Amino acid sequence: MTDPTTLTDPTTLTDPTTLWHPVATMLDLPHRHIFHGQLLGREVAIWRADDEFINVWENRCLHRGVRLSIGTNDGTELTCRYHGWRYSNRSAGCTYIPAHPADAPARTICNRTFAAVEKYGLVWSGEDPIGKPPIVAALDDGTPFTLRNLPVNAPSQVVLDQLRQHRFQPVASLDANTARMTATEVNDYAIALTSTALTSTETDTTESSTAVFFVQPVDSDRSIIRAVLTEVPAQVEQLGVLRHHATALGKLVIAAETAAAQLPPPEPMVATINQVSLALSVMPEPMLDRQAPLRVQVARKWITAQDIVGFELVSVGDPLPTFQPGAHLDVHLPNGLVRQYSLTNGPGDTSSYRIGVKLEADSTGGSQCLHNTVREGDVLAISEPRNNFPLRRDSLRTVLVAGGIGVTPMLAMAQALKPMGLAFELHYFAQADEHLAFEEIRSELGDAVTTHVGLSPDETGAELARLLDGYGHANQVYICGPGPMLETARTIATAAGWPDQAVHFEYFKNTTEIDNSSSFEIALARSAVNLHVPPGKSILQILRDSGIAMPSSCEQGACGTCVVPVIEGKIDHQDVHLKQSERDAGDQIMTCVSRAAGDRLVLDI
Amino acid sequence: MIKLYDYELSANCYKQRLMMSLLDVPYESVPIDFFPGLEHKTDEFKKINPLGHIPVINDDGYVLWDAHAILVYLAAKYDPSGHWYPIRDPALLGETASWLLFAEGTTNTASAARLYVNLSYDFDIEACRAGAHRLFRMLDEHLWFREREGLNWVCSASHPTIADIAIFPDVVLSEEGGVSRLDYPALRRWTDRVKALPGFSIMPGIFPMGTS
Repeated sequence: MTDPTTLTDPTTLTDPTTLWHPVATMLDLPHRHIFHGQLLGREVAIWRADDEFINVWENRCLHRGVRLSIGTNDGTELTCRYHGWRYSNRSAGCTYIPAHPADAPARTICNRTFAAVEKYGLVWSGEDPIGKPPIVAALDDGTPFTLRNLPVNAPSQVVLDQLRQHRFQPVASLDANTARMTATEVNDYAIALTSTALTSTETDTTESSTAVFFVQPVDSDRSIIRAVLTEVPAQVEQLGVLRHHATALGKLVIAAETAAAQLPPPEPMVATINQVSLALSVMPEPMLDRQAPLRVQVARKWITAQDIVGFELVSVGDPLPTFQPGAHLDVHLPNGLVRQYSLTNGPGDTSSYRIGVKLEADSTGGSQCLHNTVREGDVLAISEPRNNFPLRRDSLRTVLVAGGIGVTPMLAMAQALKPMGLAFELHYFAQADEHLAFEEIRSELGDAVTTHVGLSPDETGAELARLLDGYGHANQVYICGPGPMLETARTIATAAGWPDQAVHFEYFKNTTEIDNSSSFEIALARSAVNLHVPPGKSILQILRDSGIAMPSSCEQGACGTCVVPVIEGKIDHQDVHLKQSERDAGDQIMTCVSRAAGDRLVLDI
Repeated sequence: MIKLYDYELSANCYKQRLMMSLLDVPYESVPIDFFPGLEHKTDEFKKINPLGHIPVINDDGYVLWDAHAILVYLAAKYDPSGHWYPIRDPALLGETASWLLFAEGTTNTASAARLYVNLSYDFDIEACRAGAHRLFRMLDEHLWFREREGLNWVCSASHPTIADIAIFPDVVLSEEGGVSRLDYPALRRWTDRVKALPGFSIMPGIFPMGTS
């Protein structure tokens, strides 16, 4: 008997893949645990991150198919046990591949996620659930009390049949066996039973307890009974009540399994494992231009230090995409300018993107616009996070050196290294105490952060020389700050014996005066096209003018987005993105500023 | 120093290695070619243990065999706190002995299934697996109620006992024998707790906890 007024749709639908089903109880998700679950034949890994977000994922690493439920939950990312691929909380995007420690994994590597909602002490999910988890009036009116859930080797409908005859006693008279049972609500996967006992025939008072039994279809031949009482018993009675129901349900389980054994075994459910989409298995369409596919709203704008404003950006559409430590966004401003800002987020936190913007004295309109024009509630267009400053996570020691607002990517990196237990130190150089930003993140990082305030350029150099004294095996240094400081740090690191590959840097901007007076030919080897680059035009412009779609971001030789492989020809490097060893190799060019040193370049596009 | 006649892939030998690691007791491992050499069945080895099985320990001339008996000895001798084998608490001691007998059951079912799959032992595999599921179902319920009582371990004490060590490898290696733990979430949480003990050690098939 279905009562649509109390147990509303979508549970009146019959296709179980469109329904919400309970897949775990909240008791199943203790700190840093990974729950191994199954629904409709599909295995899922369920884990609660430190920000309380509940992840329900396909229980399968995208790399070699190993169960993620045997991996580790570090509170922000889930790591596969087999080859250490790391996946972000919330988005399930891949953030790190140990076999490629110096590279940023492609954004498109993302595990399959399923919806998750907590209700009545249970975690609800589904293949393709419509609407919201079922509303059960009896549970909404009371305070749900989770009983012990029992797995049953029987189809869900066999279990439901047994539940229709199920007996238990009300809380007040557990030892008797005389209660009257009424089924008050029934649907295909749930039944609510009320047990009523007469406590005193003279006064005719009654005691009753109601329990709702949700049956999770694990597979065609297996189910889990997830039962919830509508009222929390008194503390002293709780254990007795739990044992009473466990015993009663234990008998029901035996009966259901005996009944199921009489039936012909049903065909197992076959969960469809999504194949890699065609779009991902072929070379992607190149981006047309600086794209801004995401719309975000400024949820919070706050002064985090003198002349530095923090912005918290929340999605106005789909959940925000995965980012990696070191990643930046292109922010499209209301005045038409496009600026790049590094994310300060810790790993696994895509609830919002947080950036820091310094008001530049010589601002050409970017930082001024963000400081003075953009307000809380405004909607901005941004690019997906792009990572040209990837963080290795296989180092014995990581030194993070930040100058001024260069602290932003360093904060993201530090927050990624900390939960992994990797040794790191963050050195934050600033002009004065009031210029130190993001106190709330720094305090979480504790002793790993050292601030160096008010040093002259010479003192800064001396301090850097002290910090970078003694390169050791598997040491990495990451530097982000103003140009002169960065140059000093790179020179000192080289002098102290740090190899080029261990010194990573990101410039705010390219202050080199770009010489675009040369003219030369470019041959596009794959496209079999020859083009002429005249004085005053960049390779990037010429490529675009010729209808070739090219990605780019800063367009001044700092960010590295518009890189193109070079097959032949000497390069006149004018960017600040490439390391010296990369320049010397001569096999890549930043097309926005760099040019041919001779009269011809052969590009691998 | 204690000599442990040892086989790396044996769950029963691992119980001793884990116990000694948790108690921080140094030992020397003497590898026995259990498979495929069947060294434990040789006349030479039967001079050490006439029953022809491992693990066996030799502690300064004192020789003892049987996995769970060795646990009793190690904890009684090397755990001054008396937590692992609660000699001074008769009620808890009895409880520990009772769960050690339960561990004989998991060894003879879950671990036997693993020997069938990995080392081609001639066992009734369906009976082994059904038996393991029957015991795991009971243990899952037991541990679920322990959690409700605010307790973390097999016995009703705030500290683990050798009963936890005796059962843990049989449980955590069960998937190798084709016994899934999907239906036993409380059992999986308990294995997490064992892995978080200071001094925990691993073996092939038993993974450590994360870094944090």
